[in-house]
Amino acid sequence: MNVARDNILGRVRAALKVEAHRPVAPTDAPVFPPIADPETRFRAEFAALRGEIIENAQALRAFVGGFARIATDGAELTSQFVGEPNASVRDCDLGVTGCDCLVAQTGSIIVSTLSAGGRAMSVLPPVHLVMARREQIVADLASAFTLLRTRYDKHWPSAISVITGPSRTADIEKILVMGAHGPKRLALCFAD
Amino acid sequence: MTNSALQQFERDAALKAADRQHRAVIQKNIGTYNIAVANGRKRFADWPGSDQGWQNARSHAAAIKWETINHLDRYLEQFEQNVLANGGHVFWAETAADARDHVLELARRHGVQKIVKSKSMTTEEIHLNDALEAAGIHAVETDLGEYICQIRGEPPYHIVTPVMHLTKADIARTFQEKLGVPLTDSAEDLTMIARAKLRQEFITADMGITGANFAIADTGMIAVTENEGNARLSFSLPRVHVAIVGIEKLIPRLEDLALLWPLLAASGTGQTITAYNSLIGGPRREREADGPQEFHVILLDNGRTRLLADVEQRDALHCIRCGACLNTCPVYTNIGGHAYGTTYQGPIGSVITPHLRDAQEWSHLSYASSLCGACTDVCPVRIDLHHHLLHNRRNAVQRGFDGLIQRLLFRAWFWTMQSPARYAVAAKLGNFALRRGLAGALLKPWTTGREFPAPPQQSFRDYWREHERRP
Repeated sequence: MNVARDNILGRVRAALKVEAHRPVAPTDAPVFPPIADPETRFRAEFAALRGEIIENAQALRAFVGGFARIATDGAELTSQFVGEPNASVRDCDLGVTGCDCLVAQTGSIIVSTLSAGGRAMSVLPPVHLVMARREQIVADLASAFTLLRTRYDKHWPSAISVITGPSRTADIEKILVMGAHGPKRLALCFAD
Repeated sequence: MTNSALQQFERDAALKAADRQHRAVIQKNIGTYNIAVANGRKRFADWPGSDQGWQNARSHAAAIKWETINHLDRYLEQFEQNVLANGGHVFWAETAADARDHVLELARRHGVQKIVKSKSMTTEEIHLNDALEAAGIHAVETDLGEYICQIRGEPPYHIVTPVMHLTKADIARTFQEKLGVPLTDSAEDLTMIARAKLRQEFITADMGITGANFAIADTGMIAVTENEGNARLSFSLPRVHVAIVGIEKLIPRLEDLALLWPLLAASGTGQTITAYNSLIGGPRREREADGPQEFHVILLDNGRTRLLADVEQRDALHCIRCGACLNTCPVYTNIGGHAYGTTYQGPIGSVITPHLRDAQEWSHLSYASSLCGACTDVCPVRIDLHHHLLHNRRNAVQRGFDGLIQRLLFRAWFWTMQSPARYAVAAKLGNFALRRGLAGALLKPWTTGREFPAPPQQSFRDYWREHERRP
């Protein structure tokens, strides 16, 4: 029925009748160094990426108070700590979302359409605040994938993003500039 | 032998190699890259004085890509099945024209007037923007570097760093001329000008086009790596998302990314992982707040199955397009990215272009290398790049692409080298010619920018004969 599909797969199969030379086999030696204390590691990585950690309720009130128009994912944790939104995602100064987990190895925040109120909420606003719990920290990317697979397998959200610091570019003379297209600032508040 | 690609290559390469300003800009850029990459590699497990963690990461990555490429039919079918199950569409494109036509057809079907594009070398390869413009559809490049290329009307200079060859001042002048903004010497100001301009495009675009760094067979997702957020906006806001994916981008499992994302970042920019790594597995679902109504994947062959059929060079399809071989290549850093005249520059481009395009027209690229092997040393998926350049040279000769003069010269050399007597005569003649100042004429173009040292009075053979007798 589909000629192009049959042609491409036919050429692939014809080509693969001969197996290519195998590359050097990997060893059992670790690829990444071990992570002793995930929370300490996460905090260090996140800070190095210019992420901002909000340590307590008072600091959270002060941070949120700096924004007039706030959009949120409407999740329970967000509503409890930040309140109700007063702006749409296309017309806000701050977007507030939850997340799936935090990755100590890389200082990353993993969001999905289901955990962060869709696709735009965590990338369109000029500032992104993530509400999370310490127990959401996992050691490394491999553990994060295990968690995601357990949570979503066969019912995946349509989009997942691993966010590692605020948006950045170094396209001009390799000079680092924050806020290329996504949020210029990325903040994280632990609710527990 | 004459052909336009070769002539243009020789002309452009000679110009850039002698351009001091070009050299300074590239060396500054690559210098920054080298420092970042040295730090990036420290993120891999290490023993004092060794880089075994990094080397083992390369071996793991090579094994993952070997497994995929050598069972590509199975993984392509699995990927397709999962994309369809996720509510997406899959189109198989045998050629660049098939892929372009399908994008145009989708654009017509959805009444698309404006498209936002995130950085994709595959769309460069199929010259998608020209086709869209010809059909009256406005396609905006949204990656900062690609946006600068687009408004300058230039192709990307580098597969990862599109405007590596430009200074802040160059870009400021371009923005002043094309966007009517005042001159600035701040990279931040320039970035913010582009941010504001492109934000409007994101909000009003009907279709978003992205490439894919990986296509994950077992979940039917594509993975997109970036730093700016333009790819995320491109697949979040418009009504339709189209991803153009070379068939070699497949990987078996989602979990493979726990290695491949950090590896790509370490080699591409020296980062631990780039700012945004996204997985897209379909259109907006019922319970989701936003997202496109339709998600289309175009699986592109366009010569890749020809490379797959070359068992010796099949591993060139393992490439994850990190750009490390370009940055380390003494030829690339001297002649620059535009001189190649290809979509993919540097060592990997010189290896694959004769396979993806016309083998004869692009065979000269195999000689755009000193065969030093630096590319092979840095390749994160262990592609045997410099040997493949040698293989391409051999293949070109076997297929008779080398031309009559070259063939006669090599035959004469072969004949001479077979007999000590003939060699002795040839050496005497050569020595005579060089001492009479004929080096410049005989050794062109090598001597165009260099002086040939005067040969000694006595040949090594004579010297040896003399000293051998008196031990």
